[in-house]
Amino acid sequence: MKRIKPNNKQINQNSPYVSTLTRRESLKWLGVLSASALLPSFTVFSELQKTQSDASSVVKGHWPKLKLSPISAKGYGTDPAMVIPKSPWPRTLTTEQIMLVAVLADILVPRDGYVPSASQVKVPDVIDEWVSAPYEKQQRDRFTILSALRWIDDESKLRSSNIFVALSTKQQFEIIDDIAYEKADTPKQFRQISHAFSAFRRLVLAAFFCSPEGTKDIGYIGNIPINGDYPGPTDKAMLHLHQVLDDLGLSL
Amino acid sequence: MKNFDYEVIVVGSGAGGAMAAYTLTKAGHKVLLLEAGRDYDPKTETPMFQTKGQAPLMGASTKDKDFGFYDATVDGGWTVPNEPYTTGENTEFLWWRARMLGGRTNHWGRFALRFSEHDFKAKSRDGLGADWPFDYPDIAPWYDKTETLVGVCGTNTGLDDMPDSSIGVLQPPPKPRVTELLISAAAKKLGIATAPMHRAVLTRPKDGRQACFYATNCGKGCSVGAAFQTTTSLLPMAKATGNLKIITDAMVRSVDVDDSGKVNAVTYIDKNTGKDIKLAAKVVILAASACETARLLLNSKSKHHPDGLANSSGHVGRNLMDSTGASLGAHIPALEGRPIYNEDGHTANHLFIPWWGHKQHAKGELDFPRGYHFEISSGFKEPSSSLNGNFQGYGKQLKAEAKKHFGARITLALRGEMLPNEHSYMEIDDKVKDKWGIPVVKFHWQWSEHELKQIAHGLKTAKVILETMGASFSQPLPSPEKAILKGGQIIHEVGSTRMGACAKDSVTNQYGQTWDCPNLFIMDAGVFASNPHKNCTLTIMTLAMRNSTWLAGQLDSSTNPIKAWES
Repeated sequence: MKRIKPNNKQINQNSPYVSTLTRRESLKWLGVLSASALLPSFTVFSELQKTQSDASSVVKGHWPKLKLSPISAKGYGTDPAMVIPKSPWPRTLTTEQIMLVAVLADILVPRDGYVPSASQVKVPDVIDEWVSAPYEKQQRDRFTILSALRWIDDESKLRSSNIFVALSTKQQFEIIDDIAYEKADTPKQFRQISHAFSAFRRLVLAAFFCSPEGTKDIGYIGNIPINGDYPGPTDKAMLHLHQVLDDLGLSL
Repeated sequence: MKNFDYEVIVVGSGAGGAMAAYTLTKAGHKVLLLEAGRDYDPKTETPMFQTKGQAPLMGASTKDKDFGFYDATVDGGWTVPNEPYTTGENTEFLWWRARMLGGRTNHWGRFALRFSEHDFKAKSRDGLGADWPFDYPDIAPWYDKTETLVGVCGTNTGLDDMPDSSIGVLQPPPKPRVTELLISAAAKKLGIATAPMHRAVLTRPKDGRQACFYATNCGKGCSVGAAFQTTTSLLPMAKATGNLKIITDAMVRSVDVDDSGKVNAVTYIDKNTGKDIKLAAKVVILAASACETARLLLNSKSKHHPDGLANSSGHVGRNLMDSTGASLGAHIPALEGRPIYNEDGHTANHLFIPWWGHKQHAKGELDFPRGYHFEISSGFKEPSSSLNGNFQGYGKQLKAEAKKHFGARITLALRGEMLPNEHSYMEIDDKVKDKWGIPVVKFHWQWSEHELKQIAHGLKTAKVILETMGASFSQPLPSPEKAILKGGQIIHEVGSTRMGACAKDSVTNQYGQTWDCPNLFIMDAGVFASNPHKNCTLTIMTLAMRNSTWLAGQLDSSTNPIKAWES
């Protein structure tokens, strides 16, 4: 997956995520966004899957019923050129979905001092590549993640009559706080989305740490050739080990 | 092959075939080698420093590349396009194949442990399975020669499960990592020793191959030749003698016989034209992999060999074994936030846990007959699509949690000996053919209580070792039936054309020469009489070197019984 240099802007309505692959699409996005902000007639309830027939319970539990056509593109095959890695399948996320992914990814992994945010290292492109891939696991993840994206927009419309990316930061975090924890006492209506959001979170984290900046951030310092014998642990690492051994009552 | 007067045809260019070709060509014999896969050059095709982040799907495994995008395997893995295999009822079996020059040596784990006297004569001890038709001292010098040629790093430990190499044979092993030292200390408290793993990775340069520079996973292949694969070592060295010709994309269909039932030809499909080509043969060595060789024999039926070639014993396809496999991992809280350093090393185990139970076996303290070892997975690994930890929340805390887990997980992977049993075998599926029209393999598989009890013992032991390092487990251990990996999944399938002391219950003699056809040899893992837990490749190569040296002697001798077949 080729990455371009990150820009330094945080993703928001005025500064949409620009994918490496859909630069032209992003221009379209600007139009969509300005239109959606004006649009009061979003069909909020008609798209929702009611868990009970009682309309008042809709807020308590909903889950989108997505009908996704299977990905029919070809994979990279059993003998891809590995020296110049490429994923040949077309990306499938819409501009709106990419934008939502970018905003969510930056909530999960925000900019932190000099360390860029998830969208700044093109994590949304990796998510798009992942959910668009013609392989079984990725197609399952696609269903989970697209359902989660839809749920989040549905929930946003229910609470504030607008899609997630158009909400205020405060409104966004109210939703995220409800779905970002899978615990024994997670309210029933948030269990399914919390689970789906976990899958999304793992993918965002992995994609972030796989970027050069993320790899540096987690501290991985391998993948460099060493001249001569492998030096083994540093003195500092050995000192720590000996403390651990002492604490555990062990010895080398 | 016009203008190339070969004496021996070798089928397969992996561990066994390449070693046979190397040994024979070095001894002055002309060899024609047939490989079913494409030509492959690690020097130009290996993605040495490419990161997972650069790969499709962060390098994750897919059905196209079962071990991840960068795995060296070409046109293979658990499936080969248009070359299926089938399984019998209630059977789960996985068969790893490669269709490339060098075969599976391009991606193997490079763990290179010797079998011991204990391993070769296990039946004499416990009455199970089969003994090998030679003793450890017969093969020890050949292990020395093979280890020297291949380049194996490690040490002589003096442990009863690890026979020593002769002085000067082994190259120095890399220093252990912090996680491995911690395991070592925990195992020591339980009376279990750890040892430097023996790996076919150069730590000193040799024969134009560079020493390891301690980066980039060996499973990708190795462009500098440090990690052993036949494509950067035996094959180019054999070619340099001028005595080797290789034909790639040559899928062998049958080994053919004359009117009297003697082997006289090999027929292969030229995959580029789809045409059958028949090559006359004086001597044929099959080294296509245990199950591919057995398949070839079973598909080579004739009037004189109605049950398949070299199968008068009925043992071709039987006695199929893999290694047992199971693993248990845990987060080690004491390792959280430990000082970071480069833990790539030679990218696999620097230390491992050899089998320690010989004395307990002798005292009758164990309820299963054969041993196992633990391989260790740990360290500050290159970020990938999978993450350690069960994450909640978002923002700074989420990232801090991820960093806390970095390098703090340890997994012990059991690899154990399986015994042959009557329910584990392969045969030809008459109803299914591959794209070349060759009938395919049908596998039958069952673990016995021997393996399940061994797994139960291993899981309990792994849990205690991990707990000694401070790990805690909220879930009970899985049952051995659930924990044991599928047949074939460790990719140590052996035994389908086993060697033995008599023609009644084995397919070849101790030199891999088939009892039924003196000019037909088998030099892959099919000849294994048992499957010790120590990974098969070093022994495949050692046997191929020893047995093709014996064959060369036969070819050189004026009273050669093999030559007598030619006339």
